[in-house]
Amino acid sequence: MNAIKIENLVRDYGGGKGVFDVSFHVNQGEAFGFLGPNGAGKTTTIRHLMGFLKPKSGRCIIDGLDCWNDRDKVQARLGYIPGEISFFEDMTGAEFLKFITEYRKIGRKSRKEELLERFELDPKSKIKKMSKGMKQKLGIAAAFMHDPDILILDEPTSGLDPLMQNRFIELIAEEKKHGKTILMSSHMFEEVERTCDRIGMIRKGRMVAVDGAAALRERHTRNYTVTLESESAAEAFAIDFSGVRDGLKVTVTTKQSLEEIFMDYYGGEKHDESGAL
Amino acid sequence: MMNLALYKREMKGSIKLLLIFGAIITMYVSIIISMYDPDLMKTLNSFAEAMPELMASVGMKADAATLIGFMVSYLYGFILLIFPMLFCILRGNALIAKYVDKGSMALLIAAPVKRRAVAFTQMTALISGIVLLVLYSTILELICAESGFPGELDIAELFLLNGGLLCLHLFIGGVCFLSSCIFSDTKYSLAFGAGIPIFMYVLQMLANVGGDAEKAKYFTFFTLFNPDGIIAGEREAAVGILILFAGAVICFAAGMMIFDRKDLQI
Repeated sequence: MNAIKIENLVRDYGGGKGVFDVSFHVNQGEAFGFLGPNGAGKTTTIRHLMGFLKPKSGRCIIDGLDCWNDRDKVQARLGYIPGEISFFEDMTGAEFLKFITEYRKIGRKSRKEELLERFELDPKSKIKKMSKGMKQKLGIAAAFMHDPDILILDEPTSGLDPLMQNRFIELIAEEKKHGKTILMSSHMFEEVERTCDRIGMIRKGRMVAVDGAAALRERHTRNYTVTLESESAAEAFAIDFSGVRDGLKVTVTTKQSLEEIFMDYYGGEKHDESGAL
Repeated sequence: MMNLALYKREMKGSIKLLLIFGAIITMYVSIIISMYDPDLMKTLNSFAEAMPELMASVGMKADAATLIGFMVSYLYGFILLIFPMLFCILRGNALIAKYVDKGSMALLIAAPVKRRAVAFTQMTALISGIVLLVLYSTILELICAESGFPGELDIAELFLLNGGLLCLHLFIGGVCFLSSCIFSDTKYSLAFGAGIPIFMYVLQMLANVGGDAEKAKYFTFFTLFNPDGIIAGEREAAVGILILFAGAVICFAAGMMIFDRKDLQI
C-alpha cells in the first residue's frame, strides 16, 4: 500500500524553477529521504502534498485521498515540520503548544510532555526571543504532538546541534518502528542515509534517482587503504582523516557529496532505478 | 465552521485596538454631546458660517437643531467613521494577509481545519470587533445623551442611524478582508485594503466642501451612508444602507472563496 503517492506533478515557475513531471511514492511504514540541493524543488513538492498548492498537472495522493481536494481529511493524519517555521511571535512556546492543542482538538492524548523532555525544551520563553534551535524543537513538538501516522518533514534538523540531531534521528527510528510513514527532505546525505529506507533525489525540479539507501551508499562511498612509513605517522593520519588504523595501514572512506552523486546521475549513468515506481 | 481556539486568539489580538479606539470614541462622544447647549450652538454655528468649507469637509454643518442632528453633524462625519475604519484596515490585514506573508498561515492550514473555516473564523473575529465598536458607541451615546439631556434624544432614530453606521463599517471591513484574502503580500493587501477606504473618505471630504467638488460624491461609497436621510426616513437612505450591507456580504463571501482556492507559497 502506498501511503504517499505523487504522479507526474508539474509546477513551472519559469526560468527553470519549479517541479517537472515528478513521480514517486512512499510505502506504508517506510521512511523516505527526499534529497536535493537548495532550490531543487523539495519544498515545492512538499507544499503540494500539504495541499497548500494546487497541482498544475498531475496529482498527489495520501492514503487514497487527493491532497488538494480532501486536504482537511488528509491533514487529520499528518504531522508537518515546515522548512522555514514561522510561529506566532507574540506567544510563548507554552502558549503556542496550548493553542495548537486546542486548534487541532488534540485533547488529552497529547505527547507534548514527552517531546519537550526528549528535546530538553523549556517552552516558557517568548518565541520571538528563542534561538533557531529552540524554534526548531518547538516545531518538532508541534508536529509530533498529535501522534500522526504520516510525517512530512522539510529539513527537520536544520538549526539543531549534533546532540539534538541524534535525538531527532532516534525519534524517527522509533516512529518508524511504530509503523509510521515518513517523508523527510534534506540536503544532507548523511542525515538521510542514517534514517531512511529509500531515497529519492531531485535536481532542478526533476527526479534523478529513487533507490534504496543501502544501495546508494554502497555505490557512492569509496575505501582507500594507505600504508604509512611509521606507526606514529599512521596514527596521526588516521586521526586527521578519520580513518581506521591497522598497523602501518590506514583505511579511509570517502563519501561523495550530494552534488557529486547528482553528477553521477547526470553523467550518463543509466537511469534504471529512477523510473522504478 | 468556526474554530473557537483561533477565534479566541484573534479576539485577544483585537483587544488592544478596541480599547484604544473605544477610549478615543468615549472622549469625543462624551465631550461633544455635553457641548450640546443652545448658547454654545450659536458659537459653533458662527464657526461653521465663518469657515463653511473647513467645517463641512469633516461633516459639520451649521443646521444642527435637534440633539440627534447635532450628533450627526459632529460625530458621524469624522469620529465614528474614521476609528472603526482604522480598526477594519488594521485587523483586516492582520487576519489573513499578514499570516500568509509571514508564513505562519502554514500552522493554521496544516491542521484538520478547512481553509474555509479558517477564513470564516477570521471574518467572524473582524465582524465581532466592528459590532463591538458600534454597539459601544450606541450605548455610550445613549448614556451621555440621557444623563445630560433626558428625553431629548429620539432613541429609535439613534438605533436606525447606528444600524446604518454598522452596515457602512461592515462594508469597509468586507473590502479590507477581501483584499487580505486576495493578496499574499501585506504590501498589496494594505495598499488596497487601506487605500480604497481612505481614498473614498478623502473624496467624501471633498464632496462635503460643495461647489464643483460635490460631484466627487458619485465616486465614493460613503455617499451611501446618509445620516440626515436615515433620520428623515428617506427611501434613498434605506436603499444606500441595503447596498452597503449587500456589498459587505459579497466581499466577505468572495474573500472566503478566494482564500479557499488560492495557492499559498508558505
